[in-house]
Amino acid sequence: MVATFATLLAALVASRLERTRLAAWLIVSTFALAVGLFLYEIYSPDYGFRMPWIQTELERSGEPDASRG
Amino acid sequence: MPISVGRQRALTRLNYAFLLAVVVAVAAILTAAMTLQYANRELPCPLCLLERVALFGICFGALANFRHGFSYRNTGYSLLFAVLLLVVSVRQTLLDIYPRPGHAYIGSAIFGIHMPVWSIIIAVAVLAAYAVKLAILGGDAFLRDADLEAFPRIKRTADAIGLYVIALAAVNFVSVVLQCGLGECHTFGYRLLGG
Repeated sequence: MVATFATLLAALVASRLERTRLAAWLIVSTFALAVGLFLYEIYSPDYGFRMPWIQTELERSGEPDASRG
Repeated sequence: MPISVGRQRALTRLNYAFLLAVVVAVAAILTAAMTLQYANRELPCPLCLLERVALFGICFGALANFRHGFSYRNTGYSLLFAVLLLVVSVRQTLLDIYPRPGHAYIGSAIFGIHMPVWSIIIAVAVLAAYAVKLAILGGDAFLRDADLEAFPRIKRTADAIGLYVIALAAVNFVSVVLQCGLGECHTFGYRLLGG
């Protein structure tokens, strides 16, 4: 997280100093770091990227579902 | 159909005013989040911090137009980070939407809505605002050729708000260093302060 905020701050400062190319590299690096960190944070050793707490099972009643058009 | 010089100037002013409004709105949101963090001692979770990164990224794209001239590449940066904000906040909302041990919305609710849900609203608002702006202004060349010096009040305000955003990012950086050190971030306390 520190690296992400460091590159973000550096990108803003570089842009301010009109170092266009450097600012572009830094903001793209910030984006890449943020995406990597996001994937790391949401990955669970038990579930992977799934979210089983919001998964539901269809009730097997044998009756056709009246809610379907 | 050619556009008159007067109309070009009005549309250019509208373009810069829009970009300034985006930065001011996002800076206000970041200020509110940081005020709640320090006033109520509410430490941001890792995904909350990533949402702040995305908000700063949106600011970066808008502010770059005031430093290097208007470019649709800068619009691309803002849209990229708006999509990141949307993805992170939707995932965080889905994490906390079903109450279970160790998972609940963190922090104060504002108007009954917590930060991740607000982040979805903010991301959709930014995407919608850019879509409307592009629909109205289009990709006309006069926007890229416009000289910001012709709008001194907007330029001065953008300079000031740009410095303010850098100051916010610097405070956030120090805060993240104190909270996370060089490792994972937790919401128990500031790691480097013995929390």
